[in-house]
Amino acid sequence: MLAACVLAGAALAPGGAGKGGPFAVTQLAPKSAPNPLAGRLTKVYGTNIPASRYGTEVADLEDEGTNLAGEQISELSPLPAAAFTAPVDEYRAYSERWIAHALSGAVALQHALAAGERTAAMSAWEATWSDYLHLGAVYLNGAAEAANRAIDGTPGELPGGTSDPHFTGLHRIEMGLWGGQTLSSLIGFAVLLQHDLSALRGIVAHVEITPLEYATRSHEIIEDDQRDLLSGMDVPWSRQGVLGTAAGLAATEEVFHTLEPLLSGRENTEGEVRVELLMLHGVLASMRARHHGQYPNLSGLSIYEHEQLNGYVAGALSALEEMPGTLETKVRPPVPRLPEPSRVERAEERAAEKVAGGAP
Amino acid sequence: MSRLDRRQFFSRSAALIGTTGLGVGAVAGAAAEAQSRAGAPAQSATEQARAALASELATRVPFDAPHQAGVLTRAQAQGSFVALDAVAPNRSTLVAALRNLSTRARSLTQGDTVGAEELDDPPPDSGILGPFNAPDQLTVTIAFGASLFDARYGLQALKPKGLERMPNFPHDNLEPARTHGDVLVSVCAGQRDTVTHTVRELMRSVVGHLTPRWRIDGFQGARRGPTPANNPRNLFAFRDGTANPDVGDASLMDELIWVQPGTGEPAWAVGGTYQVVRTIRMHVEFWDRVGMFEQQSMIGRYRVSGAPLGGTNEFEDPRYDLDPEGKRIPLIAHIRLANPRTPQTANQRILRRGYNYDRGIDEAGNLDQGLVFVAFNQDIQRQFATIQTRLEAEEMVDYITPVGGGYFFAPPGAHGPGDWVGSGLFT
Repeated sequence: MLAACVLAGAALAPGGAGKGGPFAVTQLAPKSAPNPLAGRLTKVYGTNIPASRYGTEVADLEDEGTNLAGEQISELSPLPAAAFTAPVDEYRAYSERWIAHALSGAVALQHALAAGERTAAMSAWEATWSDYLHLGAVYLNGAAEAANRAIDGTPGELPGGTSDPHFTGLHRIEMGLWGGQTLSSLIGFAVLLQHDLSALRGIVAHVEITPLEYATRSHEIIEDDQRDLLSGMDVPWSRQGVLGTAAGLAATEEVFHTLEPLLSGRENTEGEVRVELLMLHGVLASMRARHHGQYPNLSGLSIYEHEQLNGYVAGALSALEEMPGTLETKVRPPVPRLPEPSRVERAEERAAEKVAGGAP
Repeated sequence: MSRLDRRQFFSRSAALIGTTGLGVGAVAGAAAEAQSRAGAPAQSATEQARAALASELATRVPFDAPHQAGVLTRAQAQGSFVALDAVAPNRSTLVAALRNLSTRARSLTQGDTVGAEELDDPPPDSGILGPFNAPDQLTVTIAFGASLFDARYGLQALKPKGLERMPNFPHDNLEPARTHGDVLVSVCAGQRDTVTHTVRELMRSVVGHLTPRWRIDGFQGARRGPTPANNPRNLFAFRDGTANPDVGDASLMDELIWVQPGTGEPAWAVGGTYQVVRTIRMHVEFWDRVGMFEQQSMIGRYRVSGAPLGGTNEFEDPRYDLDPEGKRIPLIAHIRLANPRTPQTANQRILRRGYNYDRGIDEAGNLDQGLVFVAFNQDIQRQFATIQTRLEAEEMVDYITPVGGGYFFAPPGAHGPGDWVGSGLFT
């Protein structure tokens, strides 16, 4: 590494690589003569921007992500949408495998409930839920959204909360298992879960995922895990937020894997994401090893483990946030300008300002 | 504040006690007035700041009025919203508690002197503001939840017709311990210590009869310009309150805010208003990872200026009529769904009076920040609920989670020292 730095420095230093070397600076450009037009320019050519304000105006526009023509600025040429076909197909196949696993888990869950074995039922629930979360990048619209709500919906979204008749699925069973309800009362929910998973399996095989949705899901999966699982919000009974986050990470790694060919050579996103995902993966793996091969629930984390996990999740998200921009498929058109307000409209604006700025 | 300044302030404030019924601002500015007398030397910045603070602390908002204060009153810098549940054993005890609540609120909002203390007795006032409780623009707005009208106190027949338990909207994740309540007390003032003191004193006045259920504290962003008219920002950095209806337009307020006679509402409710409170967690870390273009598209305004997209001025009309396909402002942008500005939706407008909140971090290490959304309207179904249903389509739902709040009814104001807010309900 040191040698590489020395070589690079030698190559870039004026004359440092020897006369005539490929990267050598052999001659400095002469100092420019004064611009004869200086002091006589009033506007930037082709615009109505005063020359005196040019830098400010351009900087303001760039802050808003546009150029002087109002077009979206990007250092990258957009990718063709067709480039996402293979990655999405690959992820769809991955999802089909995991929903099959989840379905098997739901059957095992029903058997454990019927056998009256709470510990086995809890393990089966954890496996089923974790398998299901591997579908993280399946963008859930329409029928898929309704099926997901039946399978993984939380009571907070329902008018009747935990008493709502539509509160079914994995979290209903979670409430019963960890809340001490009789196992026999949960068998019906496990049967219904299998039905809902089967229905979703048929949808997933043909689910449409647009390039923007797919690229966006690359960071949304772990964002959702951080908000809903690591906060304990969606798993108040089992508190299995770490297990859920590990499943979300696996789904994210799969998305990243499928998109790597597209990311290659576009800014440094690929490298940054790979490093951050590896670090988060390592933290979760070592945590699991420390806890005898099981992910601890949130209450079982030491303060340091919790901080470390929160920190590495945040680090991964800071890298993943670059993915959608790096994988942009189109240039955004400029925002049309509003016409100059008429005198009446200007008076109305002033009246509104007066109201807003009035005394308390 | 120097010793001399403090004495001057107290003497002025004390002189103001007992001067009731003056409009907002009528008693304000005593210090500034003194400073601006002809011939007075120019003030230093420090002196100006002291004078401004003294003026704010001396500002009194009348408690007794046809409509309660804290509705049309311009939002003060600090607020607390405390939901209480009635545990009074019977109706007469509940009445006594509500009377006490108004009596103490009246006294604090108008400024009062902390009474003499018997050394053997607990002090009648916590005293955290010193020997004089400066009014400090304080308003206390009292409202009732639907649950107060259940069978406990025989009030079922008197429930305002539009008052119901706030439902879970599709993207809500309401926590029972942070939602609903029999009575909501909204305490707003210029300084945080005024609010803190008031909440403490009011709870003391109803202890044993009304017991706390949940509380949320909020603050206004400072008005940082560029003009005094430009609205402060919420914690997504966008200006909030831009399109509020004009509170100075009495007939508009009768159309949008105050319950009118002849509308099927019980007589005691006329002159009151429905208050909606929603504690909305804003996932600020998520938001901070969103590109500026997308942020602005979701809202429909430029972040810096607050102007509608394509415009230059915060108060500019977004002119949706010129943009029917949403090429300038997306059809599902927040401002477009919240207020489509059509003749058909004109009577759906609400008066927003929200506060930012910031209350630590969650278990995942994320900031627990957001908005205490507060809105007043004449008819929840026609106004707030209709808007909220439209907003289910906005993309911002991914960045916010409503976690608490409730629907309440703020009765008309008290008529005078012998009266109290809600008395009409029990006559």
